[in-house]
Amino acid sequence: MLITIPHMGNVYLAAKALFDGIDVPYVIPEPNNKESLQKGSLYSPEEMCLPFKLMMGNYMQSIEKGADTILITGSCGPCRYGEYCELQIKILSKLGHDLDFIVLDAPGEIGMDEFLRRLGKIFKASSKSRAEKLLAIKRAFRVMDSIEKLEAKAHYLAGYEINKGDCKRILRQCKKDAFGCDNPVEMLRVIKEYLKKINAVPVDKTKNPIKLSIIGEIYTVIEPYSNLNIEDKLMDYGVSTKRLLTPSWWYRDIVLKPLKLNSPGLRRASKEYLPLYIGGHGRECIGEAVLAHKEGMDGAIQIFPLGCMPEIVTKAILPSIQRDKNFPIMSLIVDEMTGEAGFMTRIEAFLDMIKSQKKTN
Amino acid sequence: MKVGIPKGLLYYKYGVFMKTFFDKLGAEIVVSPDTNRQILNEGVKYCVDEACLPIKVFHGHVSYLKDKCDVIFIPRIMSIREKEYICPKFCGLTEMIANSIPDLPFLLGEPIYWTPKEKLMKWALNTGKYLTNDKQKIKKALESALSKQNKTKNTIKQPKLKYKVALLGHPYSVYDPFLNMDLVKKLNRLNVEIITEDAVDDKSIDFEVNKLFKKPFWTFARNTYGAAVNLVKGQKIDGVVYISSFACGIDSVLIELIEHETPNLPFIVLKIDEHTGEAGFNTRIEAFADMLGRRLNFAYNNTAYG
Ligand code: SF4
Ligand code: SF4
Repeated sequence: MLITIPHMGNVYLAAKALFDGIDVPYVIPEPNNKESLQKGSLYSPEEMCLPFKLMMGNYMQSIEKGADTILITGSCGPCRYGEYCELQIKILSKLGHDLDFIVLDAPGEIGMDEFLRRLGKIFKASSKSRAEKLLAIKRAFRVMDSIEKLEAKAHYLAGYEINKGDCKRILRQCKKDAFGCDNPVEMLRVIKEYLKKINAVPVDKTKNPIKLSIIGEIYTVIEPYSNLNIEDKLMDYGVSTKRLLTPSWWYRDIVLKPLKLNSPGLRRASKEYLPLYIGGHGRECIGEAVLAHKEGMDGAIQIFPLGCMPEIVTKAILPSIQRDKNFPIMSLIVDEMTGEAGFMTRIEAFLDMIKSQKKTN
Repeated sequence: MKVGIPKGLLYYKYGVFMKTFFDKLGAEIVVSPDTNRQILNEGVKYCVDEACLPIKVFHGHVSYLKDKCDVIFIPRIMSIREKEYICPKFCGLTEMIANSIPDLPFLLGEPIYWTPKEKLMKWALNTGKYLTNDKQKIKKALESALSKQNKTKNTIKQPKLKYKVALLGHPYSVYDPFLNMDLVKKLNRLNVEIITEDAVDDKSIDFEVNKLFKKPFWTFARNTYGAAVNLVKGQKIDGVVYISSFACGIDSVLIELIEHETPNLPFIVLKIDEHTGEAGFNTRIEAFADMLGRRLNFAYNNTAYG
């Protein structure tokens, strides 16, 4: 067995920690890039949403390296994501690749026994003891949590840093070094070190940077390649950004949703504009926009892939929030044709607008 | 009270239900006219750009009704079968409309769950209370609306013609002749008769769907996939015509799944939006009909000599 995963933000680091920890062979696909997107698009239905195409690209590249098992998380909501694997299995098998898909649906949907049985397929290939396996899972989660913490800090402090580029450099270096580790303990130590570094970055607290929330469809918000590295770019502009959606938020959401425990604040905030779940993370998008305004952010940027069904609904609603609260919101739609230049122009114009609004206030 | 019912989206499946329910509650009913150019233009004007054609057309119907009635009914159907959904745009339909079209009357846009019965009753009570205080009356209205609906079968009358194809697509694409550019008549003129998914019974659909790795949670996907595979296997058809809208996320998955099951049949996907030109559309249908002719001859010759 040679296992692989599709990319989504920093998930690859946690996956690496897990696989190293239980000592099973794996390949981490190259970071998303032009070539993987092209490959992925070639084997995807044309009108499929961008996450599907990028994931297909990841699979194709991992298959070239011998991968025969794919680990993905499913989700049983009324959106395409939940239908991905059926189609991906069929397309890949038509191409002659008979892969084993291990789909980790929410335990609430498929039952805890089935959930563990599916995970068991991977564990069987490991010679580690049960205790060691559980420890590896725990550490993988810790990796996810701490890298997210670091990332969130870097994105926020970028607006306050005295030496331009500090935050971005630390974040980049950390990911690189963490990926270079070959055991989870080491990886955790590395990330911790960088957390110390980011906390020591010299900042000017009197600065009043533009503060933006990044909202929208979860994959394109999290995966930097799909949003043309928007968070990195905003760091370059000295903008502080915040986002709620992260892989660990998602995981918590899947586990806690049946209990209605995750982010009750979001649900309350979205109530006035969108009182029901519509699939994907449409309701979260609306709730976040309302909360961003409440928390004193200067604006929000919504990102979603072309054709994304729930975000088309929210795009219709966001202008009302913008009007009612005098809160600037911009929607950016991404697909494989999105050009860097036009994208940047729109972001710059949006930042200019907010800057002048801030001055008059 | 005047209740406006937009003739769009699932009016094409549940129109009888909608009309009966409000009629039995004593409302005066205004149904918007068949889709036409002006309704389409209004819809395009108000709706978010990125939406699919059926949603835009629906916006147009609502806009037509807005100053002709006291309330407008919005069929925000969340789910028709248990654990299945329709589409995120249906779930958020009321908000899309409310935030896109100005000067609207009150919207009756409560979420509708077709099953189980208690949930449907909840919708009926929540909606009916705007028209009457009499709960018994609402319950009765629901009963008669349901029984009338159950007796209605969607069909398109067809002559016997040389070729027969499965016409697949969501009900509002198949049954709205303006939206699909009079597709059925055009096919008939080319000696092609059609059969729709409504001809396949629920059990046969389930039989095919159960073979999938993961049960589809979109009702449209379940119905169309199951019916298509059934029709193909029964060898009752010479080809498949799929009428779809650009930017329909459900079809981007569904069409692929169906194509995997029909590798040897002529298969044409007609995608439409407000920019689709009729001339190009017609050419494609004609080419498809030609192909059906060639294939039948080929098959005939092969058996004759083989
Ligand atoms: S939420 Fe959007 S991007 Fe995600 S599966 Fe649905 S349509 Fe695709
Ligand atoms: S199912 Fe497709 S065509 Fe129908 S409303 Fe949803 S996206 Fe549009």
